[in-house]
Parts: sequence; C-alpha cells; structure tokens
Amino acid sequence: MSWQNHRVDDRLIHGQVVVAWGTALRFARLYVVDDQAAASPWERDLLASSAPGVEVRLLTVAEAAAAWAAERDAAGGAMLLVRDLRTARALVEAGAGVTAFTLGGLHYAPGKGKVNEYLYLDEADREDARALLRRGVALEVRDVPATRPQALAALDPTIAP
Amino acid sequence: MRRVPALLVMHADLGEAMLHAARQVYGPVEDVEALSNAEYSRDGLEHAIEERIARWPHGGLLLCDFPGGSCQQCSLLAARARTRGPDAEIVIVTGTNLSALLDYLHNREKYGVVELAERVQKKAQDSVRVQRGQSA
Repeated sequence: MSWQNHRVDDRLIHGQVVVAWGTALRFARLYVVDDQAAASPWERDLLASSAPGVEVRLLTVAEAAAAWAAERDAAGGAMLLVRDLRTARALVEAGAGVTAFTLGGLHYAPGKGKVNEYLYLDEADREDARALLRRGVALEVRDVPATRPQALAALDPTIAP
Repeated sequence: MRRVPALLVMHADLGEAMLHAARQVYGPVEDVEALSNAEYSRDGLEHAIEERIARWPHGGLLLCDFPGGSCQQCSLLAARARTRGPDAEIVIVTGTNLSALLDYLHNREKYGVVELAERVQKKAQDSVRVQRGQSA
C-alpha cells in the first residue's frame, strides 16, 4: 500500500495530521522531510514523540528522495510531510516520484497573500507550485479528510503554468 | 510565594473560551493570557509564545489542550529557547481542562512553577470521571 498522502504543511506533525488524517488513513509511517529539523537531535525527538503509535522518520530532502521508491513498495501505509512548496519542489527535483501534494496549511507571513483560511502564498511559492505542475504533480488544497479537495489552480488562477 | 503566570496555548478559540468560563466561576482573572494557534505557522506560533513568556523572569506555565498538536510542540520549542535555569523554568501542561485551570487560579500563589504544574496535571486527570445514569 505505502504512500497514502504527501502533504505540504508548515506545522509539520500536528493535530490535523495525527488526529484527522491518522484516523482516516491509519498510516504506519510518517515521513517528515525537513533539512533543518533533521539536523537537530532535539527536534527529532520532539517530532517522534508527537505521533504515538506511528513510526516517525525525519529525513533530509536527499535522504527522502533516495528512500521514496523503496517506501512505495513497502507494506503498510505512509504519509509524507514537508513544511513548504520549496521543499516539495526540491524533493521532486531530487528524484522522488510524487504525483500529488495536498496543501494542508501554509499560514500567514508578511508578503503572503490569502488563498483561503489556511493557505497564504507569495510569488516564490507560486513559482514553486508552477514548477511542480509543469512536472505533472497535482496540487490540491485540503486541510482535513472531511473536506472536499480543490485544485490549487482553481482557487488561485495565477498558478496555472 | 510569587504568583506563577500562565499562558493558554490552544486550538481555535478554546483558550479564550476557557478563560471566559473561568471568569464566571472564579471572578476576574489577571496574569493569564490565551493564545490561539489559528493562522500561525509552526515558526510563527513558536515566536508568538516566545514573545509572551519573555515577560516572565521567574518562569511560568504553558497550558495546552492536547498532546501532539502544534500548541504543545511550539510550546516545547519556545520553552526550550527561553528557559534559563531552575529559577525561571517554563513548564508545559497538556490536557488542560476547566477544572485544571480553576485549580491553577486558586493555587498560583501557593506553589512554585514545577509543583504547581504537577498539581494542575493531577487535577485535570482527576476531573475526568465516568458515571452511569441510574434509572428512576
């Protein structure tokens, strides 16, 4: 079964991921792909303790790209998290065969414009989104499983490549 | 004993609502703030917590709703950045409910930070009870 969802969420592991998606998908492994967090033993422990009953694997982009194909064929389900579109793009460009990302939470920061209640983008984000779309990676917007997914390009027509 | 300050770091409007309910039971509440995680990124919430606890020279409590969420994780990150030793300890308590908050308010000038946190934890745990209805 393996890959069940690839999610862009600047909170990484948090309530929506553990409670809502964890209950809906019952994934066995949670990949957090983040160069910064992967460099910190303390953050590694913090993230590992945030999803009880799930194996948390905290990897750099390069490590995750190398591990992606093997995980695709593994038993049990897996979910992958990145904190921004730049990392999502880097992961795909490094060779991971991701076909779709769910944009679950990119919150407000100065210079970012509102797309919906939990999605704010700036021009750098849009350029990363366009690059992913050009590679055939679908981008859908959805915070929790109980909501209907929407194509990012439908919410933000400027994204269309 | 010095009063121990607290910040409620909770999802959506829960912290503010819990403070509102506590005021109805306890009366006016000072030195307690609520911070919602709504609209914050992980980094943003961590910095918002850090800004508030920077005003606590002698430490205090971060009261969170449930373990594993962004509120708890960002509290841990901020506490790690701000804790300056045993006399200025920042302690996180998850699973905070109204019983625990009221107990904190009644006891925040009687205990130190760590002892108060342990008391609040026990109060939250003790307040969860299951009682079956009896037929008339």
